[in-house]
Amino acid sequence: MLKSTFTPILWALTPKPKYPKHPPHAVTNTSTAHVRHNASVTTPPLPSSAYVHLPFCRKRCHYCDFPILALGSFSPHDDDPRVSNYVHFLCREITATKVSPNPNAPLQTVFFGGGTPSLVPPRLVSLVLDTLRIKFGVSQDAEISMEMDPGTFDADKMREMVLLGVNRVSLGVQAFQEKLLKACGRAHGLREVHEAISVVKSCGVENWSVDLIASLPHQTEDMWEESLRLTIQAQPTHVSVYDLQIEQGTKFGRLYTPGEFPLPSEVQSADFYKMASRMLCDANYNHYEISSYSKSGYECKHNSTYWKNMPFYGFGLGSASFVGGVRFSRPKKLNEYMNYVQNLENGLVNGSVSADDRTHAKDMAMDVVMLSLRTATGLDLKHFQETFGRSIVLSLLKAYKPYVESGHVVGLDEERKTIRIDDLSNSLLDKANTKGRLAYIRLSDPEGFLLSNELIAIAFGVIDSWEDRPPYKEIA
Amino acid sequence: MGFLSKASKSMRQSNYLSLLRNFNFNPYINRITHQCSSVTSALFCSQSRQSSTREKSTIDLSEYPPELVRNFSIIAHVDHGKSTLADRLLELTGTIKKGHGQPQYLDKLQVERERGITVKAQTATMFYKHRKSGNDCDDEKELPNFLLNLIDTPGHVDFSYEVSRSLAACQGVLLVVDAAQGVQAQTVANFYLAFESNLTIVPVINKIDQPTADPDRVKAQLKSMFDLDPSDALLTSAKTGVGLEQVLPAVIERIPPPPGRSNSPLRMLLLDSYYDEYKGVICHVAVVDGVLYKGGKISFAATGQSYEALDIGIMHPELTPTGVLLTGQVGYVVSGMRSTKDARVGDTIYHTRSIVEPLPGFKPAKHMVFSGLYPADGSDFEALNHAIERLTCNDASVSITKETSTALGLGFRCGFLGLLHMDVFHQRLEQEYGAHVISTVPTVPYIFEYSDGSKLEVQNPASLPSNPKQRVMACWEPTVIATIIIPSEYMGPVITLVSERRGQQLEYSFIDSQRAFMKYRLPLREIVVDFYNVLKSITSGYASFDYEDSDYQQADLVKLDILLNGQPVDAMATIVHNMKAYRVGRELAEKLKKVIDRQMFEITIQAAIGSKIIARETISAMRKNVLAKCYGGDVTRKRKLLEKQKEGKKRMKRVGSVDIPQEAFNELLKNS
Ligand SMILES: Nc1nc2c(ncn2[C@@H]2O[C@H](COP(=O)(O)OP(=O)(O)O)[C@@H](O)[C@H]2O)c(=O)[nH]1
Ligand SMILES: [Mg+2]
Repeated sequence: MLKSTFTPILWALTPKPKYPKHPPHAVTNTSTAHVRHNASVTTPPLPSSAYVHLPFCRKRCHYCDFPILALGSFSPHDDDPRVSNYVHFLCREITATKVSPNPNAPLQTVFFGGGTPSLVPPRLVSLVLDTLRIKFGVSQDAEISMEMDPGTFDADKMREMVLLGVNRVSLGVQAFQEKLLKACGRAHGLREVHEAISVVKSCGVENWSVDLIASLPHQTEDMWEESLRLTIQAQPTHVSVYDLQIEQGTKFGRLYTPGEFPLPSEVQSADFYKMASRMLCDANYNHYEISSYSKSGYECKHNSTYWKNMPFYGFGLGSASFVGGVRFSRPKKLNEYMNYVQNLENGLVNGSVSADDRTHAKDMAMDVVMLSLRTATGLDLKHFQETFGRSIVLSLLKAYKPYVESGHVVGLDEERKTIRIDDLSNSLLDKANTKGRLAYIRLSDPEGFLLSNELIAIAFGVIDSWEDRPPYKEIA
Repeated sequence: MGFLSKASKSMRQSNYLSLLRNFNFNPYINRITHQCSSVTSALFCSQSRQSSTREKSTIDLSEYPPELVRNFSIIAHVDHGKSTLADRLLELTGTIKKGHGQPQYLDKLQVERERGITVKAQTATMFYKHRKSGNDCDDEKELPNFLLNLIDTPGHVDFSYEVSRSLAACQGVLLVVDAAQGVQAQTVANFYLAFESNLTIVPVINKIDQPTADPDRVKAQLKSMFDLDPSDALLTSAKTGVGLEQVLPAVIERIPPPPGRSNSPLRMLLLDSYYDEYKGVICHVAVVDGVLYKGGKISFAATGQSYEALDIGIMHPELTPTGVLLTGQVGYVVSGMRSTKDARVGDTIYHTRSIVEPLPGFKPAKHMVFSGLYPADGSDFEALNHAIERLTCNDASVSITKETSTALGLGFRCGFLGLLHMDVFHQRLEQEYGAHVISTVPTVPYIFEYSDGSKLEVQNPASLPSNPKQRVMACWEPTVIATIIIPSEYMGPVITLVSERRGQQLEYSFIDSQRAFMKYRLPLREIVVDFYNVLKSITSGYASFDYEDSDYQQADLVKLDILLNGQPVDAMATIVHNMKAYRVGRELAEKLKKVIDRQMFEITIQAAIGSKIIARETISAMRKNVLAKCYGGDVTRKRKLLEKQKEGKKRMKRVGSVDIPQEAFNELLKNS
């Protein structure tokens, strides 16, 4: 699996282009020369994951800066033109997306994110899924996730979604305190939370997640402990613990300053994070990514494509895709997005491959490091070295040495056994003996995860000042 | 002078080299190259064409024996009107056209504007017809034409050595005093420089047009402080023109002609030099004895180097070739010299192979303030090196040696004549060469004497051993004699300030009923950083301040180290008076605590004298910096955030495991 992750690099090693980057939607059809060039080298793996953005919400939460469309407090009917119009554009986008002539592998994961996808009538969800099936095919055992908010669905709707194929639910609980829910501007109360949990369970959704937010204004340690406890009691297979980020332009952004009352201090906030890690691990959840916990075997497959730097489609307002080694974000404004879809149909834009945007080797290395270090698996040094060369691995290890000593970074062998600090530098050289040889580095839980931005920024610094050209693989 | 100095100032200020390429002092070159690339040079070109046609054929220096020559300077406290008066005199004599000069404030270096000083001296020659009183045997119609050299002096004590060199070429000065402000600190300092050089002093009370002008009060001050006869004072307004007609006659009547001997071997005093891209070094000289013809072979006493006088002439105000320079005259020499380092102000120039007694007073530049200069953005040492090299081409008075700091990397230890000189250098480096520099806290040259009798001059505190093998027997620090003039009501706070700075009162008196005059001996170290600013702020800007170098004095000095996680930061080491060490140490530690961000480890900041820790602060470890938000597949956004963080780290300086933001170094500069 990991091996294929790095394949794009083989044709992405060309030096960064000198000419300015054009956003793909401003570029007219890419040159055939480029396509030929591409084909002559290697074909990047095709995505087998799709993110679908359904941006509707009752109202905007006070912390939210996502591209959403607030509908007001009534439940939308099947014929709410705002929703159906959008979904039709979405389907047109899916249909107009260029795919390679090669036969497509069917999608293995589909993720309905938002917004509040559970607000969308099942008929329209079905339309989207059918469009995906026609375009790419959706594997029989694909993971089909949907973000659902308490108060936006009942048992009937849930059952309908299950019938359509939705088999994983990510439930936006956020908190188990009425006061906090209100303070966040959530459109539901605590009663709806409990109802939603029982609906999900009663409808036989086996794979479901509770999403929580830590470090909310006025949140106390007791409240957080309570939220975690009630979450564990509900026995979801997955828990996502997000951290409140104060974003510019949100209500919270205007009201609060991070680290200052009523927001918890940095120390308190770190304690919240540690408490989650400790309580959830004690309840047999694996902390497999900075903000994700799951029972064994219930990791979110869709999100794993992100951490593994694998390609994925993105459809809908503001969504991001990673296809053919190119990261691309769709417009965040509705009318711009609609224009984009029209241009896509007319062949005026190409949401995927464009020579100008090809990811540079350094960029690719940074992505790999940034994404993999968010996970418990960590950075696979063997593959990293194969792709980017030995010198960068050595520089990275050198830069991380003090943090291995301080316990923020951990070295692991092939069998995922921790390697002693003293053996670290030697172990890499030991070609013969794979046992006890350094194979992964990861950030420790919770201390390393808590300072992941610092640690990843240090790795970025190493990559940035990396002068050796990566070994160019001859593919003839 | 006004015109010349303005032209050259603007040249220095903006893009020196590009202007030099387009604009030249030589009128002949100007006539060929008509492309003037900027307003400045356009103005200059038209002016230079006019004057070159007007004067070229008419100047015969042999018509001006010493009796018809006067060499003088204008000296004044800042803003009392020296530059304006000089402009008026140049206009009055037709040396420059009225209105052709640019407003001075436009072309000053920022530092010149801020401090109101002339950094580099300029010189100009004027011609003026005047009947000398009591000399009526001359032909009635043919008034004698005098050759007057106005020799400008830099307006600041840092350059007082250069001032006294400039004055050495003069026989008299115009002492300009603002009619409303009266005598100020630099008036005093400049008066004494002129007085000690035995120069004739012509008092000029300027700005009499101002409503608050009180010339009588100023006359009284001049009398009481300098014993200048009130009836000798000229009253002028350089603004309205009132009284200006008396100035040049007074120069001719009162100031004696230059005393040199025409038939002695050539001796010239080197007044100034600058570098011209095309001609090489241009030297301003005063001919003390003898004659110099174009093509003559000349030698420089300080360096022993010999050159040919390829082109000689006068500054009128731009370079005007004359082919000869006679006794008493002031002009320029182009000799093919490549670096101003070989043209030391005050040096004696003589005919090669002749034997002369060098003129008195040449001494190498004395560096009183030192600081380390490092490229702000790590790797850019070469760029800084290049910028410094180019700048020192025109300012040979800066001493430069390479040094290495563990915190800041490769850089330079620079020695300056004084604080202002240092500021000017830094600003020109930034403004003209776009070099981003980190400058370490300026220090002064201390002398440490050890028990084995050895002595160490310390220009960089980091080079002083923190735990020396030999016992320190004595330490010496340079002092200055400071003159402070203030309205009497500010005496209290000023005395407090000066004694905090370890000042020792030498003299104090009242200039008149409102103004006090104080003289202090102060350790140079104590005025190096922010003395002048504090003084100005506690006196609402009314204090005037000046100082001159004085002797070394013994002092109880210690080296104060700053340690981060136990590692000394060499670039932050200072030498302080033992009595102040605790306070300074505490302040530094507190300040660093504010400017260093939390990091992954706890950071201890310590101030230490030898192995004794005298202050300690800790910055607790960062607890949390994680992005745990549901960004979905939006990797780009995460990336940008982390890249910003990485860029921040890159700009930091690293000592051991501690990242120090560049601001920390600048912060230390502000107060210590
Ligand atoms: N009112 C008035 N202002 C003057 C007079 N002479 C100069 N100034 C102004 O005083 C300021 C300082 O003059 P400047 O010649 O630069 O002084 P310097 O620092 O001694 O060279 C300028 O704004 C001049 O315009 C004068 O006679 N009367
Ligand atoms: Mg001036």
